[in-house]
Amino acid sequence: MAAVVAVLGLWQASGLFMNPIFISTPAAVLAAFVRIVADGSLAQAFVSSLGEMAVGLSVATAAGFAVGLAMGRLRLVERLFDPFVSFFNATPTIALLPLMEIWFGTDVRARVAFIVVICVWTLVINALAGARNVRRGYADVGAAFGLGPLATMWKIVIPAAMPYLLAGMRVAMAQATVGMILGGQEVGESGLGGLTEAYGSFFQTDYLIAAIITSTGLAMLLFGLLKLFQRRFYPWIAATAAARR
Amino acid sequence: MDRGDRRGPPLRRQDVLDIEGVSHVYETRHRRVEALREVSLSIREGEFMSFVGPSGCGKTTLLRIIDGLTAQSAGRVVFRGVELTGARRDMGFVFQDINLLPWRNVRQNVEIGLEARRLPAAERRQRAIEALRMVDLEDVAEVPPYTLSGGMQQRVGVARALAIDPQVLLMDEPFGHLDNFTRETLQIEIARLWAKLGTTVVFVTHDVDEAIFLSDRIALFRGRPGRLTRVIDVDLPRPRWEFNVRAHPRAIEMREAIIEYLGVRADGQG
Repeated sequence: MAAVVAVLGLWQASGLFMNPIFISTPAAVLAAFVRIVADGSLAQAFVSSLGEMAVGLSVATAAGFAVGLAMGRLRLVERLFDPFVSFFNATPTIALLPLMEIWFGTDVRARVAFIVVICVWTLVINALAGARNVRRGYADVGAAFGLGPLATMWKIVIPAAMPYLLAGMRVAMAQATVGMILGGQEVGESGLGGLTEAYGSFFQTDYLIAAIITSTGLAMLLFGLLKLFQRRFYPWIAATAAARR
Repeated sequence: MDRGDRRGPPLRRQDVLDIEGVSHVYETRHRRVEALREVSLSIREGEFMSFVGPSGCGKTTLLRIIDGLTAQSAGRVVFRGVELTGARRDMGFVFQDINLLPWRNVRQNVEIGLEARRLPAAERRQRAIEALRMVDLEDVAEVPPYTLSGGMQQRVGVARALAIDPQVLLMDEPFGHLDNFTRETLQIEIARLWAKLGTTVVFVTHDVDEAIFLSDRIALFRGRPGRLTRVIDVDLPRPRWEFNVRAHPRAIEMREAIIEYLGVRADGQG
């Protein structure tokens, strides 16, 4: 906390001798922040970006987990998908943005699709790892007590893989935030990405920094929700982590 | 049926489980491992049979083969005249590592075998609570398993196996990770449960005293590949919790014989 205060102090002091175009000052950023909150433009950008991320992350999570878990359990599915997963995981997915524009047009659909393609591979790979690393003892319980393949998936594999799934979601949320900003900057100047693009091109550094901090806040909000979700529904993960071999 | 006053092994009982020439070989990246060679044994209805031997002699492998958790390379397992293939729903398994699922509370853990049988929720719950009552744990039914001590967790493991009303109860070194006091308490508890329920039990252990205290017969395994080389009748009176088995002259004699037999050659180094 003291370190944060010190940095803010230094930052404010830098305004005395540096051109505010470079890093502005905390006071100016705060003033800019208050103004774009007051005129509603920040809230509108925040909500539209949050909406795009929510839809993109939901689609990516559903698809990524389904594919990854199936790959982890079924040899055939793994053979089928593995070349594509390897390929796209190595592809700099940021380069796919123009392709999304070609496919979906320069509007919200391209931005959401971009969020999906930027984070879905992480989700696939984590789900695959989770399904692969089910502790043998847990798998034995399912087999010994006669669970069928579907019941084994729901009652053993998915819960046992949950630490991997949640870790995957955390990384995917960070990737999706990058996708949201870039999509907003490049596709129709929309949301928080659109704000950063607009303020940047007019050298309104104070507004730009206010928009960047708001984007960080959006990502942290999502991380926080995920953490709450884990604490509420999967308290055993933290409780057994220390005892695990 | 209460058999607390029964003397000696049930010699005239019928065979319920026949293990016929079972071998197990598996390949690792580096070598081919022969874990078990041509084991044959008949287990009788209602008897308490222990597999005893040093680590790596294949006794756990044989128990897993009986339950269908591991597929044998050769031989057959016949249960009441029917050859078994695949996982068995009518046998309860108690694991050395206990393996309670941390995402379920104690009662839900006990219910898992009943879910596989598609029993309605109310009946599952009732049978789970009954099973927990047998191990004296019905008051922790709604608690997460990892909040319990190791001994309590393994009693939940026993309840989970008993809840399906098993034809055979398979126990794989169930007290292997527990301290001595807990272990002795649970041995007595298992002896009482067995006397009350009359279930056929196959029990794997490397603790000779434990095997003598609990068993009607002890199958001795040794060597690599593991072979079943001798079966001993434990001709001690029951109930054994009413006297000091360890100090009983016949028990001492048996213990010495078993240890000598498993002896130096039994450390797995051949």
